[in-house]
Amino acid sequence: MKILVQKFGGTSVDRAEHRLLAARKVIQVREAGFSPVVVVSAIGRAGAPYATDTLIKVLRDVDPQVTPSAREMDMMMACGEIISTVVFAQTLNAAGCKAIALSGGQAGIITEDKFGDARILEIRPQYLLSLLEQGYVPVVCGFQGITLPDGEMEHGAITTLGRGGSDTSASALGVALKAEAVEIYTDVDGVKTADPSIVPEARTLPVCTYEEVAEIAHQGARVVHPRAAELAMDHNIPLWVKSTFSDAPGTRIVANDSAEAPGPRLTGITHTGRTVLIRLDMGDTPHKAHIEREVYRMMARAEVPIFFNTFGSRSLSFVVERRIYPIARDLLDGMVIPIPSEPKDQDGKLSTFYIFRYDKGQDLAYSVQRPLLACVEDRIHVVDVPVNAIENCTLVSVVARGHRQESGVVAKMYDALTLAGIPVYQTADSEMSVSCLIPESEVDKAVCLLHKHLFG
Amino acid sequence: MMNQFSSPGQSILNGQKVRFERERGVWAVHVTRHLAHALITFEPGAERSESVRMVLKALADAGIPIFLVKLHRTAVTFALAHHYVQQADEVLKQAGFGVRIRPDLALVVVIATTMREVSGIMVHISDALYHADAQLYETGDSHDSVQCLIDGVHVESALERLCQEFGLEKSVVHERPLPGNREAQA
Repeated sequence: MKILVQKFGGTSVDRAEHRLLAARKVIQVREAGFSPVVVVSAIGRAGAPYATDTLIKVLRDVDPQVTPSAREMDMMMACGEIISTVVFAQTLNAAGCKAIALSGGQAGIITEDKFGDARILEIRPQYLLSLLEQGYVPVVCGFQGITLPDGEMEHGAITTLGRGGSDTSASALGVALKAEAVEIYTDVDGVKTADPSIVPEARTLPVCTYEEVAEIAHQGARVVHPRAAELAMDHNIPLWVKSTFSDAPGTRIVANDSAEAPGPRLTGITHTGRTVLIRLDMGDTPHKAHIEREVYRMMARAEVPIFFNTFGSRSLSFVVERRIYPIARDLLDGMVIPIPSEPKDQDGKLSTFYIFRYDKGQDLAYSVQRPLLACVEDRIHVVDVPVNAIENCTLVSVVARGHRQESGVVAKMYDALTLAGIPVYQTADSEMSVSCLIPESEVDKAVCLLHKHLFG
Repeated sequence: MMNQFSSPGQSILNGQKVRFERERGVWAVHVTRHLAHALITFEPGAERSESVRMVLKALADAGIPIFLVKLHRTAVTFALAHHYVQQADEVLKQAGFGVRIRPDLALVVVIATTMREVSGIMVHISDALYHADAQLYETGDSHDSVQCLIDGVHVESALERLCQEFGLEKSVVHERPLPGNREAQA
């Protein structure tokens, strides 16, 4: 039995005519001798009646003051895929293709009990295999699984897999069923060199490596979720990205060591994130490393992820997501880091207190705390650490496999952006990409420019 | 129809569960040795964008790969393989820039899943490096890694502390080739 997993995203199942196009893809592969297993997302995107966001709102609207538990939220969110799955199975049945709708649990997807962002622990594929043997096309709810049916705390509770969960479901089923391939159907022809809504002339890449597609997805492209790409990579399952709405061949995702794998190259331009750049000016101090550690510790305690760290000889800067910036700002405003001097220093003082000070108007906690320290300044040093922030930033990235072995990618990016008057606040690079932090208002212009400069 | 729970599934081998998805958190550490860190300070009043552009162009034209490029108010810093240091120094002098080089460094890269969605990894790294007496000269990060440029002499103690901090076996520490060193990779 040659099994093929086909996943259809929200825009592929949002309308009857789209579902018919998707159903045709299923019927075609069946006629070609494959046994298809279909995975579907919820119908439509935000605003659509059965979209995940709409369901979340229904639950939150019960009482906006009372946050629903993650467990109940997962049950609610899972309804979107259940509706979609039943409707799609019925579409196939109506087209004369024997299909059966299955929840994630019925398909044997077992997860940990971390509601809202569960990882798949195992897949028990026997039921799916028996359905295939009976000639059914199983249509499986993406994005969901269940906890162990005999678990200690939860008995088969519905879980969701977090962002991009349906792609992850498809890859995982492909692995468990030893599928010939996993096909991810979306509304573009494959993996593009840029977001086609910004760069209409973006090209479709015929072949990508798993690493490239995972990187491009991590950096903001919404073709395949990186978890799905990583799962396929780790288990070496062939992956395709195709369009529901065309017969274009799509993009084949291959292993790095495959004969078809491209060499070092520029893969694409991506953009992601709404961020804030924070800079702390510590001045010339022997305690810089200590202050940095305390800042990291405070952010970790408040569960504020930070990235784009940059060390200057007298400063530290980093980036946080804008949605949690208010937490970071409240933590930093007026934050005091005491560093004892043992024995007393040459001025006879017991310690140095560093206090963080935002610009005027944003320094509420500082303005309360600073006067309190004034009365002990004969015994301690008090050092103000100015803090400033650039809000409304975003990341634009060039995914460039092997760029560290070559020279010039950073130079070309920086050239293109700054000569066009787009400020580059900071850069970051890894083995697979180079990113620049720029004003969010310039993102479309930046993506177009970089695409033109780097992809011709 | 059969019960969907009647099979042990394919991810159980010899009665032992195997990893299906990547686990959250740190799972490997990579090391690249023989690196240097360059600092180029601009003249007072110089326009930063123009100066940075000239520096990057001079290095790119000379075919010198650089990484961990960081922009500061009056300076730019980057890392490079030690075998490019002399050439970079000459190229930048010709372009009118003085360069200060800190040699004998190593890049320790902590690899984790969904790095940017979890908090606290940086504090663990900085604690580990602090206790290893390894001063951190620069960091870089991506969705799956934090890169730390430290003194080469402190690499072993840093690795030991990092493994302790994240509960890793020594077997997950891997040496990586120098950027631009094609001979080493071949």
